[in-house]
Amino acid sequence: MSQECILSGMLSVTGKKVLHMDRNPYYGGESASLTPLDLVFKHFGKEPPKGDDVYGRGRDWNVDIIPKFLMANGQLVQLLISTGVTRYLEFKSVEGSYVYKRDGKIHKVPADEKEALASSLMGMFEKRRFRKFLQFVQEFDENDPAKWQGVDPNAMPAYKLYEKFSLDENTQDVTGHALALYLNDKYMNNPCKELISRCKLYSDSLSRYGKSPYLYPLYGLGELPQGFARQVAIYGGTYMLDKPNLKIRYDEQGKVVGVEDDKGDMARCDVLVCDPTYVPEKCKSIGKVVRAICILDHPIPNTKDAPSVQIIIPQNQVNRKDDIYVCVVSNTHQVCPKGFYLAIVSTTVETSSPEQELKPGLDLLGPILEKFVSVSDLYEPDDDGKESRVFITKSYDATTHFETTCIDVLQTYRRITGENFDPSKIQRQSEDGCQQEQQEQ
Amino acid sequence: MPRFKLKLKKRPKTAKLENQDSGEVLMAPSLRMASGVPNYKVILCGEYGVGKSSIFRRFLNNTFVVADTKKTTIGLDQCTRSVDIGGTEVKLTLWDTGGMERMSFIGSSYYRGAHAALLCYNSNNKETFTILSQYILDIVMNAEGAKIFLCGNMADGSEDKEKVDDGDLESFMTECEDVLSGVYSVSCKDNLGLDEMFEDMAKVLHTDSLNRMTIRRDLIRPGETPELNEGSTGKKRSCC
Repeated sequence: MSQECILSGMLSVTGKKVLHMDRNPYYGGESASLTPLDLVFKHFGKEPPKGDDVYGRGRDWNVDIIPKFLMANGQLVQLLISTGVTRYLEFKSVEGSYVYKRDGKIHKVPADEKEALASSLMGMFEKRRFRKFLQFVQEFDENDPAKWQGVDPNAMPAYKLYEKFSLDENTQDVTGHALALYLNDKYMNNPCKELISRCKLYSDSLSRYGKSPYLYPLYGLGELPQGFARQVAIYGGTYMLDKPNLKIRYDEQGKVVGVEDDKGDMARCDVLVCDPTYVPEKCKSIGKVVRAICILDHPIPNTKDAPSVQIIIPQNQVNRKDDIYVCVVSNTHQVCPKGFYLAIVSTTVETSSPEQELKPGLDLLGPILEKFVSVSDLYEPDDDGKESRVFITKSYDATTHFETTCIDVLQTYRRITGENFDPSKIQRQSEDGCQQEQQEQ
Repeated sequence: MPRFKLKLKKRPKTAKLENQDSGEVLMAPSLRMASGVPNYKVILCGEYGVGKSSIFRRFLNNTFVVADTKKTTIGLDQCTRSVDIGGTEVKLTLWDTGGMERMSFIGSSYYRGAHAALLCYNSNNKETFTILSQYILDIVMNAEGAKIFLCGNMADGSEDKEKVDDGDLESFMTECEDVLSGVYSVSCKDNLGLDEMFEDMAKVLHTDSLNRMTIRRDLIRPGETPELNEGSTGKKRSCC
């Protein structure tokens, strides 16, 4: 999965020798993009449509199993830049970010002041209060108490901060879920420091490329693990795909000694990094996520025909505990033929009929040509790797951006190496360096 | 069908190197879309050991590494060079495989957005030549619209029966008549024909692109793309 790919990249550019094995015959595991379209049907156990042209040319489809957007100023972008992987990739902005209100309508999260003035997201007076709040967030400096306006970011809970600016419940929903991108309302009682920095991330990301704070790579997310794989390869790491039935070997103390493939060949290692699916016995389930990948032949209604959007349905607005997310991408990001749209609706499972929980999201899409629904378990490691030297990442959560994934990556890196990832320690390659390495081989 | 003979005459170098300081490699200004100079992505394709990296290294810094044993690629895998074609500056960015073909396969992402593929074979090893039709398939599948150029490396080699001769070349070219945009013969060892090859490819690519006007301007590469709000940081920002 993606975290392992990023970690391979980070470890190899800081001088570790990496062997990356994958049971799948493609790069990236769960973070791959499936192509051609027939493979998507097969992946979800469906019969591909007979006849050639129903969905255009099959290989024009690159369908993410788990779609996510990148925050333009977020941690994944920083990691892509610091590891140099950015040079293998091309991105485009996502056109718009929308939020759902109780009335059943979706509203554009304004991207600038002009849009804000015209928005029916909130009333005139509320807009003024909200603007004050955003100015406070923008000017907030953790290290300068003079700018705190009496707010102790480490003590004041988030809901108190809303109270301070007299924001109504509706605005709190927009702020906490569409800007700060919280999955649910558990943050309300936590210190407001995090809320402030999340709002800041949103507006910093928005100001980078204008239309929305989100970026998405051309040809789908599957490009990301491939980019990291390439970086690992040029730093001397080795990739082996299509390695099913890998067995992890331990010594008497339970410390990992290597990985054995189905031919009995053993690759020895001091440290093993993997996702929960390779070591279910060392993980615990923490919930489920339901996702529906939908093929459409039209843009999402009420989005001004935007070729790519994100819609957030805050939990409160539909009487749930967790938000529902809708991600839409299309031909402008080279993930499907012209005239088609890919919409993915996802949420954290709360009931015993998960597909039904997606209904508020699915209802926004208009007619759906094809729908692939899957429920996946979320796992978290039960082993910190201190003794076993096996470092396990977390499953992808329901969020539609990579911020939580990156926190997991950075924490895992720290657990493995005992230090924080320091981009300045990256061994840059010069022409000479490239030749020196060759001779060492 | 143009065909380019190996020119033995040495000419003054027309291509200049980009600044390859360690930091600059990652942030090559040439890749910025705002620079306005057209930049064409060229990928190297071909069997393990035909000298793709030798071609890359000639392109990168005009050196040739003598090695007794074959070595796989470790190091830089991307390099941009300016080429002057009749007074117009264009840029070529050459991509090397990074040696990924050694243990696994080259992912589709390598091919994405390539304007051209340089299909390489070893002139003294027929096997590396006959397998090329498979590579053409890969390129056509993964890099739609990319121009394909053929490059016989190690043209310095002696005559032997394994050598790819003019007859082989003729029949291959007849076979894929419409596919090849240029055919070259080079020697990395003796540094023959390389600059001419790059210059000619740049010419073909640039002419083609002028005819099609396909330069996209809304692509974003974090860290290399100038930011929108630069210069207006003093202004009040508000998203609602």
